[in-house]
Amino acid sequence: MKNFFILLAMKVLHIGLKIAGKNGGNFLGKIAYDWNPNIFKYFKINCPIIAVTATNGKTMTNNAIGYIFKTAGKKVISNTEGNNMETGILSTLLKHCSLTGKIKADYLVFEVDEGYVPVIFKDLKLDTLVILDFFRDQLDRNGEVESLILRINDFLKTYTGNLILNNDDPNVARLGQANPENHNIYYFSVEKYSHATTDMKEAGEGKFCPFCNTRIEYEYYQYSHIGKFKCPNCNYGDNEVYKMAKNIDLKNRTFTVDDVTYKIRFNSIYNIYNFTAVISCVSLYSIDTDIIQKALSTFILNNGRLEEIQVKNIPTIINLAKNPTGSNVSLRILNEDDDEKELLFVLNDNIADGRDVSWIWDINFDTLNNVSRIITSGTRAYDIAIRIKTAGFPVEKIEPYLDLHEAVEHFYQTNVKKYVIANYTSLQPTRNEILKLK
Amino acid sequence: MKELKILYLYPDILELYGDFGNIQVLRYRLEKRGFKAIIEPYSIGNPPPNFKDYDLVFAGGGADQEQGILAEDLIQYKQSIKEAVNDGVFFLLICGAYQLFGKYYKGVEGNIIPGLEVFDYYTEAIDDRKKRCIGNIVIETELNGKKTKVIGFENHGGQTFNISSPFGSVLMGNGNKFGDNHEGFFLPNVIATYLHGPLLAKNPELTDYIIKYCLDRKYNEDIILEPLDDAFENKCREQLLLLYNC
Ligand SMILES: [Zn+2]
Repeated sequence: MKNFFILLAMKVLHIGLKIAGKNGGNFLGKIAYDWNPNIFKYFKINCPIIAVTATNGKTMTNNAIGYIFKTAGKKVISNTEGNNMETGILSTLLKHCSLTGKIKADYLVFEVDEGYVPVIFKDLKLDTLVILDFFRDQLDRNGEVESLILRINDFLKTYTGNLILNNDDPNVARLGQANPENHNIYYFSVEKYSHATTDMKEAGEGKFCPFCNTRIEYEYYQYSHIGKFKCPNCNYGDNEVYKMAKNIDLKNRTFTVDDVTYKIRFNSIYNIYNFTAVISCVSLYSIDTDIIQKALSTFILNNGRLEEIQVKNIPTIINLAKNPTGSNVSLRILNEDDDEKELLFVLNDNIADGRDVSWIWDINFDTLNNVSRIITSGTRAYDIAIRIKTAGFPVEKIEPYLDLHEAVEHFYQTNVKKYVIANYTSLQPTRNEILKLK
Repeated sequence: MKELKILYLYPDILELYGDFGNIQVLRYRLEKRGFKAIIEPYSIGNPPPNFKDYDLVFAGGGADQEQGILAEDLIQYKQSIKEAVNDGVFFLLICGAYQLFGKYYKGVEGNIIPGLEVFDYYTEAIDDRKKRCIGNIVIETELNGKKTKVIGFENHGGQTFNISSPFGSVLMGNGNKFGDNHEGFFLPNVIATYLHGPLLAKNPELTDYIIKYCLDRKYNEDIILEPLDDAFENKCREQLLLLYNC
């Protein structure tokens, strides 16, 4: 009786919020979770639940999976706005359930914060879990990556659903051994691309084998610590690959999987990994390749994740970068583009960003290709300016402005192509300042 | 051309908190003045370094698990490290490296990880694993008789005791332990500290203190370093010190 009562109360509250014209965000979930943390048990769900977790790429991958199912005519419920903690997912479920907790959909697709997987799926039966990557991220808030991986590993010890793992991330592939009884493990990988290197170019983890502590050997690095690796002692990393992306052509934005060519709207190696995970996932649900092709060719995100826009007729690329790898991925795209360009880097140190900004020293600013000016802004505009100066970029070409409005105004005084990198809390304010000029 | 030889210990392991930035800042401020910076890495599996051959030895902080792996490796050089310290080679040690140079590190379960015993201090983990000294920190130190503020970021669970000569007094933040008045360990040729940031990024005076010490010792002189354009650093310090009320 009690569970029915909670759901009912939440539905009434939801309707109330709707009448008041409020979206509610995580609010509904927060109240319900505080009331009864076991509330996840009370939903009646008869369709597959799919979850995506990672340090970087959750939103992109989650939304692409949902988009493909929708293109196939399926009913999908998903947290596309990125509310990815227990309260966010709970809010999404509460909004879509009936008064008795029934959820009618073909698929539930969720991006889940990497720290919350064990919490949320304790009581919700997960059909497929996709894990993309684990990078250092806001160490002062999240702690070291290793403890996070161990928590997920613990969760996976009793998990028997589909597990889709990035075979090129030693932090992720190791999770395939968490439960030897689980035979539903699917590894994905991406063939060496033209800018892969034999040395690690950007800060990364996973230097030692998690099983025998031997130093891991790499044939090549694609970016950060993502690449073809193997433990020379125990062969860790040598897995049978389920889906492999080949013929990576970032200029033309195409790649192939199982000899099928996919055209996408993004041009980074990082996206190829995300989409290979997406293809691995939806293929488990027998979605036709022509539908996947069609969906991926039109899939974009208009929220500052590798968003391409024109401002005063100047091509502008905006990307969120809340950790070193995110920034390094943005700079890879910038450096793989030979056109002259200017960069705006906005760095805040609010609580949600992590107060510690030392991670900017893990960004590789060493060889910027054809960058004629860099503007910095945000609460730590000077920190990032010092970082870029120390990397050898001419100091006279760096302009720090604490005030974001001023920064964006100066940025658009020239008509050179623009790249924008902004961290978590600075992304939307930066995007808004830029869109004002549009 | 005058040069400094820098030994960078375990660059592939002690690299979690952007401490590599210290090497970059040192190199930048040396090269801007026409000095040569020779930076030689050492890590597990490399031939043993001759510590006395270097003007400066640097080590940063790393992940807990990986730090354990390298402690076993480093301990084999205990004697030659002690000799280099006594010889006057400059040692810049951050966070995990700071702890490793002490007597020991006592873990949560009471297990003792032996240190290099180069210095008399020791570190104990705090009972609650989740409790750490985390946040921006400002300390005041004295470099060649001149007081200066040092800005950084601390992130450590370990509490360090028995410090005979601290690096500085705490103006904001914790220091060697929760709510301490002192931060780090300081000798004319040793700075051992919890400060990330990286330490040298916003503290050009401190960087120049280290550079001057190393050059003076190597070339037996009293060098006056040519001033550099520190406009960004100065503005950054001004902004943050005002914000932090220091
Ligand atoms: Zn191994």
